[in-house]
Amino acid sequence: MRDQSFYNKTRIIFIFLGGVLLLFLIAPLVGMFLSVKAPQLFETLNDQQVTSSITRTLLISFSATMFCSLFALPLAYILARKKFPLKGVVEAIIDIPIVIPHSAAGIAVLGFISRDSVLGSVASSLGFNLVGSTAAIGIAMAFVSIPFLITSARDGFAAVPQRLERAAETLGASPFKVFTKISLPLAKRSVVSGMVLMFARGMSEFGAIVIVAYHPMTTPVLIFDRFNSFGLDYARPVAAIFIVVTVIIFLIMRVYQKR
Amino acid sequence: MFLNIRGLICKAGDFTLGPVTISLERGSYLALFGPSGSGKSLFLETIAGIRKAQEGSLMIDGNECINQPPQKRPVAMLFQDYALFPHLSVFENIAFALKMKGIDKAHQIRRVNELCRYLSIEKLKEREPDSLSGGEKQRVALARAIAPEPLILLLDEPLSALDENLRGEASELLRKINLLGITIIHVTHNKEEIAGIASQTQHFPPESKF
Repeated sequence: MRDQSFYNKTRIIFIFLGGVLLLFLIAPLVGMFLSVKAPQLFETLNDQQVTSSITRTLLISFSATMFCSLFALPLAYILARKKFPLKGVVEAIIDIPIVIPHSAAGIAVLGFISRDSVLGSVASSLGFNLVGSTAAIGIAMAFVSIPFLITSARDGFAAVPQRLERAAETLGASPFKVFTKISLPLAKRSVVSGMVLMFARGMSEFGAIVIVAYHPMTTPVLIFDRFNSFGLDYARPVAAIFIVVTVIIFLIMRVYQKR
Repeated sequence: MFLNIRGLICKAGDFTLGPVTISLERGSYLALFGPSGSGKSLFLETIAGIRKAQEGSLMIDGNECINQPPQKRPVAMLFQDYALFPHLSVFENIAFALKMKGIDKAHQIRRVNELCRYLSIEKLKEREPDSLSGGEKQRVALARAIAPEPLILLLDEPLSALDENLRGEASELLRKINLLGITIIHVTHNKEEIAGIASQTQHFPPESKF
């Protein structure tokens, strides 16, 4: 009886503490939506600068995700299947963008693409300046978000029974066919989740992007720009619209995962 | 001899098997029985090519196969848990090897239908592997293994996952497949399981050659 009441008290305390945390997460967002007035919201929705920045942000993040998948999926597969010297170091390198400040990541990417760098000078010789370009935004997005794709895909590939891959080999499948016909379809859920996470993380990025390309403006940079130039009232509707877009993407991912 | 395995040594972690020497005539059914952990599955995986041999020779129908990748060997394997591809239908599972060989769709359909009739699984073609019973899974896995017409079929404890009452039927099925002219190597830890099926039986690892 005493034990039961102890557990009931513990449960109440835990629910209270958890509730405080949930409130902490929800309150600022709800407060922001309540502060946005309908006319302001409609005006912002019709603002060409806002809509084009959202389209730009989504398109660049999507392109960066698709392009990086070509490199990330083979790497994730190798990490899931092979043991090799310094594997731990490789895994640590992949996680670096998660732990470093994103402004620092932006500085690092800027050094990588500036005209003084190998990549920047090659692009420059082709008449293309990477700094301040759409490509720079894509590179910055990819740099900070690719760990999410690699980690999710690696876990997905690791969960595919190796026996199935071996069975496919004995049935005449080349290693590439084993990957495309067995491993990838069976790890599809984790791979797609990883791609959505990378896409969502990339489009939310501000710190790295603002350093490599203030213009053309992605939505997070536009929110900052409006806040800096005109104040909270002008930044809030853009933020609200962008949050709705990201939440929709997040919900699609959750539904897909639960299917 | 149709199959000549000479001094085959295979390793998995700290475990070393061999040297194993075995010779077989075409169309024979060799049953190898040995305790768990004696390296039976390792031996089959080495013949199939999914594990690399440390040493030795593997001649199949006069061709040295020891350095060939698994997809080039005329060998099929029935895994202990059948290893059916869960994301493919029964039809797609059986047609998998034919597709990998680049055989056209019409031939694939013909071959799959022929095998389904032979193994009495015609009604299962559109089903997902997860919806099948143990006996049905085994038939589908056998159909998938023999679809590309391998010269040798390796069976890894093929009856152990089946209920007692299905084993007689499954043994009959294995004999039926052997009658197609496919050479079979069947490994098991249960000596009773192979009584009456195999044309030759031997303890594993073998101490003398056939």
